[in-house]
Amino acid sequence: MKRRPGVRALCAGLLACLAAVDVLVARTEGFATSAVEFTAAETGRILQHGPWPMPWSPDPSNRVSGRPEAVALGRDLFFDPRLSGNGKSSCATCHLPARLFADGKPRGEGFVQLDRNTPGLLDVRHNRWFGWDGAADSLWSQSLRPIVDRREMGASTSHVGALVRGDALMAERYRRTFGTAPTDDDTVTVNVGKALAAFQETLVSGRTPFDAFRDAVARGDRGEADRYPAAAQRGLKIFVGRGNCAVCHFGPNFTNGEFGDVGIPFFAAPGRVDPGRHEGIRKLLASRASLLGAYNDDPARASATGTRHVTLEHRNWGEFRVPGLRNVARTAPYMHNGHLATLADVVRHYSELNEDRLHADGEKILKPLRLTAAEAADLETFLRSLSDAP
Amino acid sequence: MRACVLAAALLAALPAAAQPACNPALPGGKQLESARFSLGYRPVPGTVAVGRHFALELAVCPKTGVQAPESVSVDAHMPEHRHGMNYKAQVGAAPGGRYKAEGLMFHMPGRWEFVFDVRSGGKSDRLTQSIVLE
Repeated sequence: MKRRPGVRALCAGLLACLAAVDVLVARTEGFATSAVEFTAAETGRILQHGPWPMPWSPDPSNRVSGRPEAVALGRDLFFDPRLSGNGKSSCATCHLPARLFADGKPRGEGFVQLDRNTPGLLDVRHNRWFGWDGAADSLWSQSLRPIVDRREMGASTSHVGALVRGDALMAERYRRTFGTAPTDDDTVTVNVGKALAAFQETLVSGRTPFDAFRDAVARGDRGEADRYPAAAQRGLKIFVGRGNCAVCHFGPNFTNGEFGDVGIPFFAAPGRVDPGRHEGIRKLLASRASLLGAYNDDPARASATGTRHVTLEHRNWGEFRVPGLRNVARTAPYMHNGHLATLADVVRHYSELNEDRLHADGEKILKPLRLTAAEAADLETFLRSLSDAP
Repeated sequence: MRACVLAAALLAALPAAAQPACNPALPGGKQLESARFSLGYRPVPGTVAVGRHFALELAVCPKTGVQAPESVSVDAHMPEHRHGMNYKAQVGAAPGGRYKAEGLMFHMPGRWEFVFDVRSGGKSDRLTQSIVLE
């Protein structure tokens, strides 16, 4: 007669497993409001979404990062249509301040309709990778790309160099900012990117109802936490709990800064695929303006660690950058190609996720959430609470 | 004859005696065992956080009669998610017979598994350890 393993044996086995696992972060205690009880794990994840705003220090790869004269020069360049090849479009033509520096269209429009949605620029300074495919590893490098892309602003380095050298006032501001007069086209264009980056680093979203709730949880202030709408609390519990949303939308900016395939069609046009991160890595490694190149102002090159070690995998096909979610309700439409028009559409997408669309060697925890109508509404309410204005 | 044998024994023993003892116990680190190696590791900086690059300091000690490692590699993956890191760690020799693996990053919370591969004498020893990152 075979004996089934006893409780003691099972416990011993479990203890052995636990001993082999090194838990690196101590668990916090759970937290309950009048409306929702959050487990210890859920509470820990809530706390990881703050505090906000995040501390920030100047970008070591950009020697003018954080300097007022660079911010002012970058702001003026951002709105200057002379940077474009035909003198008619500026950065602000697509990155509209009134739309949180996005454009509200499914896909960007330059000289032609582009393949991807124009991302907003608030909090962009916290990114590790830039663009939907992460082809740039610094904000200054990313800022160069649309200027010289013939589909977008359609200029060239010689055009930018001539503009800066030929405008006496701009040349003087350039000299005061960078310490030298404008010289060769490539250096001037990279420095224009660095001034544009210095300006964009100042674009930061404000505190939100969620932040007030998160800080109340951190203080153990149940009275203040109860002021956060019950529907948002229920949606938050899905977000940090069984929804697994916070696995990728991690941390104070609600993104882990990396890439994923979430089942959005990646045909840019009939018969033409947008390869996403796969092509982004290839472009990054071929770029003279990456952090591995001569234009990185960080002599220690510590800022280039990600670029030095990034790997190109087959699974990178069709992966796009995980966007931050602050002010997400104000930056429709959604996904890398503007495929989803509303926040409700996004929630429905994850609720009814078509697993056949997912990459065969991609993320395995992506499953349809199968939300009820009430749960979907709660999740949407939570996402709307990440806005710093109505 | 006896003197010759003694001298030969001393000569054979000298290289081993000249080498410092390999100690896999790194302060604040973890230690793993395979049939042929003891491996100690500790993260640099001392804590691993989601979305932050880190390095590992390694001490790889052959057990009695085992040749020193010819190569050491480090990787990590998430078993439940069925994917690894987005970055490839590079292992280089460090002072004191140790190694340093640079460029690791865990981009998600959850259970990760370190995989250490130590190659020696034409064979590999694979040592693993799970960590839960919250």
